[in-house]
Amino acid sequence: MKTELSMVGRRAPKIDAVKLVTGRATFTDDVEMRGLLHAKVLKSPHAHARILSIDTSRASEIPGVHAVITHRDVPRNPYTSAGQSWPEPSPYDMYVLDRKVRFHGDAVAAVAAETPEIAEAALEAIGVEYEELPAVTDFRQSMGAGAPIIHDEPESYGIYDASRNIAAHIDVEAGDVEKGFRLADVIVENEFDVQYQQHTCLEPHVTIAFLDEDRRLVLRTSTQIPYHCRRMVAFALGIPVRNVHVLKPRVGGGFGNKQEVVTEPIAAVLAMKTGRPVKLEYTRADEFTIARNRHPQHITLKTGVRRDGSIVANALSVLTNTGPYGTHALTVTGNTGTKPLPLYRAANMKFYADIVYTNLPIAAAFRGYGAPQGFFAMEVHMDEVAEALGIEPLEFRRMNHIRVGDTDLMSAAAGEGAGKKPRVIHSCGLPECIERGAEAIGWYQKRGRPGDGPIKRGVGMCILMQGSGVAGDELAGAALKMNEDASFNLMVGSADIGTGSDTSLAQIAAEVLGVPLENILIKSGDTDDISFDYGAYASSTAYITGMCVLKASEDARQQIVAAAARMMDEDPEGLLVHDEKVTSLSGKSVTLQEVALECLYGESKTVIIGKGSHATKESPPPFVAMFAEVEVDTETGQVRPVEIVTAVDVGRAINPDICEGQVEGAVAQGLGYALTEEILVDADGRVLNPTFMDYKIFCAADMPTLTTILVEAEEPTGPFGAKSVAEIAINGPAPAISNAIYDAVGVRLHSLPMTPEKVLAALDCRGER
Amino acid sequence: MIPAAFDYAAPASLEEAMALLAGHPDDAKLIAGGHSLLPLMKLRLATPQLLVDLGKIPDLRYIEEKGDHLAIGAMTTHYQVSISEAVRRRAGLLADSAAVVGDMQVRNRGTVGGSLAHADPASDLPAAALALGAQLVARSRSGERVIAAADFFQDIWTSALEPEEILTEVRIPFQDGKAQAYEKFRQRAGDWAIVGAAVSVARRNGTIDRADVILTNVGPTPVRARAVESALQGQPVSPEVVRAAAEQAADGLDPAPELKASPDYKRHLARVLTRRALERALQIS
Repeated sequence: MKTELSMVGRRAPKIDAVKLVTGRATFTDDVEMRGLLHAKVLKSPHAHARILSIDTSRASEIPGVHAVITHRDVPRNPYTSAGQSWPEPSPYDMYVLDRKVRFHGDAVAAVAAETPEIAEAALEAIGVEYEELPAVTDFRQSMGAGAPIIHDEPESYGIYDASRNIAAHIDVEAGDVEKGFRLADVIVENEFDVQYQQHTCLEPHVTIAFLDEDRRLVLRTSTQIPYHCRRMVAFALGIPVRNVHVLKPRVGGGFGNKQEVVTEPIAAVLAMKTGRPVKLEYTRADEFTIARNRHPQHITLKTGVRRDGSIVANALSVLTNTGPYGTHALTVTGNTGTKPLPLYRAANMKFYADIVYTNLPIAAAFRGYGAPQGFFAMEVHMDEVAEALGIEPLEFRRMNHIRVGDTDLMSAAAGEGAGKKPRVIHSCGLPECIERGAEAIGWYQKRGRPGDGPIKRGVGMCILMQGSGVAGDELAGAALKMNEDASFNLMVGSADIGTGSDTSLAQIAAEVLGVPLENILIKSGDTDDISFDYGAYASSTAYITGMCVLKASEDARQQIVAAAARMMDEDPEGLLVHDEKVTSLSGKSVTLQEVALECLYGESKTVIIGKGSHATKESPPPFVAMFAEVEVDTETGQVRPVEIVTAVDVGRAINPDICEGQVEGAVAQGLGYALTEEILVDADGRVLNPTFMDYKIFCAADMPTLTTILVEAEEPTGPFGAKSVAEIAINGPAPAISNAIYDAVGVRLHSLPMTPEKVLAALDCRGER
Repeated sequence: MIPAAFDYAAPASLEEAMALLAGHPDDAKLIAGGHSLLPLMKLRLATPQLLVDLGKIPDLRYIEEKGDHLAIGAMTTHYQVSISEAVRRRAGLLADSAAVVGDMQVRNRGTVGGSLAHADPASDLPAAALALGAQLVARSRSGERVIAAADFFQDIWTSALEPEEILTEVRIPFQDGKAQAYEKFRQRAGDWAIVGAAVSVARRNGTIDRADVILTNVGPTPVRARAVESALQGQPVSPEVVRAAAEQAADGLDPAPELKASPDYKRHLARVLTRRALERALQIS
């Protein structure tokens, strides 16, 4: 591999930037399909009920209605909507349409009609008789004696204990924590509560389903997981995988909400039933009520430390609300423990969790994937542990964080899928992150100086780690083909959902092939291509698909070198590919265009096709040290973030602009999680704030100053040393701000979001006002 | 989030607009900037059959000093009011509150008349209008009448305007020499107030002659904090007087709970914001 890089590391503009900002990019709904029908879904008015009867006769007779479907019209194949590798580690507890509804808004029936208005009218004409059932709307009650059983159907499987509403369960230990606690000089215990958060993708879930001329089902859909979607829809509908073709156009944000099969199955059934293209599109209110959210949790942490500051035992236990379905139930909560626990060296660690069903909105994958909950708890808790020992919190973290050569004990005990192999840390830029972040925020100048007056200032920090893909459970396949003008069609199965991965992957190919970025014509997310990919999740694309593209490009480069060697009558050894030509040590050269023309039309008659396939047992963590400066109004409880400094070890920034964009986006979403965002549900399980007026994300005018510092601790297993960057920063704002509030006003916030009213109540409790 | 179907008319004169209203006494709604009405229509809380757009009528957009008062055309935008030198000089409280309405987009499009006629207790201008002793001019085919702000706001989204009346002008007595400020608390930029406090204080020889203290979003209309006003009246201007008076801002308040804030929290904010508004107006702290 070359050491001088020309494309990798460059702040190249995103290759789709101009078409996005000029409106030329086509999203799922940006096509005009002849004969398109509009689908609408009838939603349950009850949190928990059995459907006794459905009368669709009046609805079917309305002119312009082409199909009305209920549970009688769909195959009863249990599935999970979780877009994970097969067999998905989530319970198979969902049906395209079911005889039972398990939360407010659960699908009862669906219609396809000429216009959305006719479809709405048809929904109103469907007569449904329900037997209302008692509902669980407080997840602390789910496992209680006498709680109604949410999954009493016999067909579902993979549920840990349906009779107690436990979707999944975790109980793992490394070492012996009880022994550890006996060795401790000080034991600190804390509890934390976190809320439902919505992804608020700019583009809601939308699918256009149709049958092509060969009667294959085509799903043009807004997804992070084209290949999983193809397999899952085929299995759920009982049709061969070969009869499904998934197309991912431009996607307006995913954040995990689209690591799910959501609108695809119903759209598919309606298209197959009518023979017409059918569009099913969620409204914003649908996104807030029936799409997916971040899991609410109650977290308990107990840590034993010695006077010298070393940690002897660390135990984390979680109760998680997964809502009515267990999509991503095990794995999201798995990350609540397996991401934060190993960040701190301790011989004894324990992680216990119950993930329980409720008749509340569905929780699933969301950027950070369980880690934001875990790090909020862990990083506020560690501040308190440090305080109990009288050690400066930054110093305490410096003493105890994981470092190169360490083994991640949790990875061996609780890894996902086939990845139960101890993870050894090969690269760790945390010391540099901590040092540069502290310098940028002015840690030592600002700490402990709240100032006079009713508005106090404080600084707080936290450290974080994530993964780069799911260890041992990732696969990507890519291919590229050389054209006459030394351009290359690059086919990848990964999904650029706005992250910029198409650009980063093209940069990797351009680097290896010695061509400018515009010579790489990337196509991503078409399951009829020569590609394969698990999809855009778990911060995997740059690390996994990136290495795959590197391999495919190397393959093509070797073929180019062989052809050039023949043309120049030189030994292939020692030939260099750079600047759109191949040169030899003796000074001969041919252009890549000459090589392409010779291969395609000359003597050799060879199409240069590079291919790559990549899987790994590794999942190297990126690291972050995040610092927050806040103002706290002691009279109103208002917390205003002033600055967030994120120092992030990305291994290698393939495109620094894209890395910074990912960090800034994650911080913005993390700020909302910390301070303003929360899905509110009433005692009957109804969402109270399904609009942007009442669900408050951070807008541009709310944003503090963001400072992002890219640290490059090269990762030997990554493409050009790269690790991931997409998720990690979302974990930080909540704990860093909670710790900054403590520095400002001396109260600890253990519950998100940290609303003015909660802060004021905490101040009142401590008599600080 | 899609409004029910409606007809739309954009009359070129006030007379034409009044005729349209008279012809649709029950089902027409005037639209100015649309920033209050359209959200309600999208939520289907308002379902007018006919929208009468005042945007094409010339001469409803002005700020004039007339004798003893400012005359502001109903279609004048929040932004125009907030930057007007005449408003700053003659009625500082109005400029202060118009400057924090919504966000820049709302202030560029939303109008003073529209905001007052909409009578939303969470809006900022109604409290200011009360504290300023504004007079509101309503016109219909049967003539013109002038309504005091104190009589104008009757209930949530309900004003004293008759269905066929159009609010055409807001008159504000010159406030020269009064100490005024508007304090608004919101959780996020661009939002409605969770609570707001508009204060106007007239002084004579270091003593408070009269205080107007009006609260935003703590009841179905803007609410006058009478206990604060009487606690201030006749007292010398001092931090202690202001602090003690502001403590009474929540007396008798019974705000409805809302998603953003409990009644107790809103009462607390009423006290804090009243004190802060008075302190800023009187330049004490």
